[in-house]
Amino acid sequence: MKWINGFYLICIFLCATLSISANEHERWLQAADSLFRGGNWFEASILYERAYYTSTDARGRIVANLAKGEAMKEMGEFSRARRDLQRSVTFRGDESLREELLYQLALCAYLEGDAAGARSYLLQIKHGFEQMPRSRTFLLQGLVIIEEERWDDLRPHLENWFLETNEPSEMRDDYLYAFDNMVAELGGIPSPRDPDRARMWSTFLPGAGQFYAGSAGWGVLNAFSQMAALGGFGLMAWNGYYIAGVFAGLGPFQSLYFGGIRQAGTLAEQKNKSRMDEFQAALKRFLLDVAAQKQQ
Amino acid sequence: MNHHNQRFNKRIKAGKVHAITAGVFLLLLLIMPGLQASAEAPSFFIEAAPGKQEPVQSDADEINMRREIDFILYMMGRGDLEESLFLLQSIRGPGIQWQDSLHYLTGWVHYLRKDLDTSADHLLLVSQESPVYRKSSFFGAYNLAHSGKASKASSVLSSMTIEAGTMPYALRHLQMSGVALLDRDFELFARRSENFSGRYHVMAAEERRMMQHYERLRDMPGRSPFVGGMLSAAIPGLGKIYAGKTGEGIVGFLYVAALGLTTYDFYRGSGAGHPLFILSASITGIFYFGNIMGSAAAVRRSNNELNHEMDQRILFDMHIPLRNAFN
Repeated sequence: MKWINGFYLICIFLCATLSISANEHERWLQAADSLFRGGNWFEASILYERAYYTSTDARGRIVANLAKGEAMKEMGEFSRARRDLQRSVTFRGDESLREELLYQLALCAYLEGDAAGARSYLLQIKHGFEQMPRSRTFLLQGLVIIEEERWDDLRPHLENWFLETNEPSEMRDDYLYAFDNMVAELGGIPSPRDPDRARMWSTFLPGAGQFYAGSAGWGVLNAFSQMAALGGFGLMAWNGYYIAGVFAGLGPFQSLYFGGIRQAGTLAEQKNKSRMDEFQAALKRFLLDVAAQKQQ
Repeated sequence: MNHHNQRFNKRIKAGKVHAITAGVFLLLLLIMPGLQASAEAPSFFIEAAPGKQEPVQSDADEINMRREIDFILYMMGRGDLEESLFLLQSIRGPGIQWQDSLHYLTGWVHYLRKDLDTSADHLLLVSQESPVYRKSSFFGAYNLAHSGKASKASSVLSSMTIEAGTMPYALRHLQMSGVALLDRDFELFARRSENFSGRYHVMAAEERRMMQHYERLRDMPGRSPFVGGMLSAAIPGLGKIYAGKTGEGIVGFLYVAALGLTTYDFYRGSGAGHPLFILSASITGIFYFGNIMGSAAAVRRSNNELNHEMDQRILFDMHIPLRNAFN
């Protein structure tokens, strides 16, 4: 009799404690979901953290953590979302949840600007979940490839994407044709201008470095201002104002000359960045359009 | 027969106990949803029930409040300061016994956010009965001193009741000496620093350093902006060198000298009435007087920088013992 009573008492204790705490976690989660749906991301993130805090099992914690990650992403707090999601990285159990966690980590890393970090999470998904459908990761992988400027990998990746998602061959060809066409319209992969070469050009021929960097206007202005300063020096010296010529003519000339050399390098760097940004943005738009069309 | 009856009665009793336990188990399963509903309100935050503004709270409120504070401490530990502050501000109608904890936590979150003025406002609301009263008062006073309210900090420190000969007593002396030094009241500092004993390891090094700050400040030559300006009037750039900005002084001298030589060249070639001479002389004059004004400003800036640097050192040596003593 004793052991039967003991069994009942243990059951009562476990039922009461576990179901109350499990229920509390659920309640916080529900309240957070309702705030999230209302667009109150900050408040929702606190309640998701509360659900994480009160959860008694790893599954409950990862569910709350993933939901909190969504709220943080809505707030634009990608770095913090990644930090929080990282807490559940040791989770083992539900494979789909673990895959979701790694995907969210990759997405947050990409949105945070850490393409290499995103690539590492995507590799974990690729090798750890071979049986899972990869349709979702293709887009993110493509974006990471663009961000990392791995141009040789981009087209094979697109082909692989269309192949693995069972795209009809005509559609596949259309997409690839559109991609090639777009790259050609953009003038191919931008070839960067060498800032050192730009500086060297300006050293020997004032304004030439600016032309090389692709800023003809600055090149003309630079060459003209340096000639004007030198002309001023010549004119003053011709009229016998040697000291004034040195200070009012050669002084500004040396400033313009050395400043011009520095500016040529800076312009080349800026131009490289803006051209690459434009090219990457166009490619990303293309990938997003493809993903949107495939979803329809 | 009797024996048989006794066994029978025992069985009946055991069966009753068994039935009661099973009954409780079933009952619990049935009423579980009700229990869960009362375990914690799913509302966002802790809130006193209507009509519960009186200081005495029920056990459930007490438990909820403790859990809330635990959660806030957890959030603070994670560094989620905005969230902690939001949770603290969302607690409505807390019992009087929780006021101190809430003031302290709010003040501490503001302190961690480096919002020292607001932190002081909250920390100084903690009552003397609270176990964190001393910590709150010390940090509140420090925050005031850091915000440039030295006299207010001094009065907070003086109003604290601390037994003589104890560590907090020595700590208060150090803090008050620091405040006197921030105020550049050397006489007061000298009086207060007489109590530096070097007995407590949490502040012995800071006591020594505070004395060094005092000596450095006392012996620091006060540079005059007027002298700086006059020096630059005599030799352009010299005032800046006097202010400790040697590089700026040399560049200033070179500029004025080059312009002066250019003006001289125009004067030599064309005479005083030539427009080039007048233009050049005007520009030189502007640079010359600009250099004088700039030198006076450089002396003022240099004095401010030095004072600021000394203030930071003093505040640092006031802060470290507080962190050592209370954390």
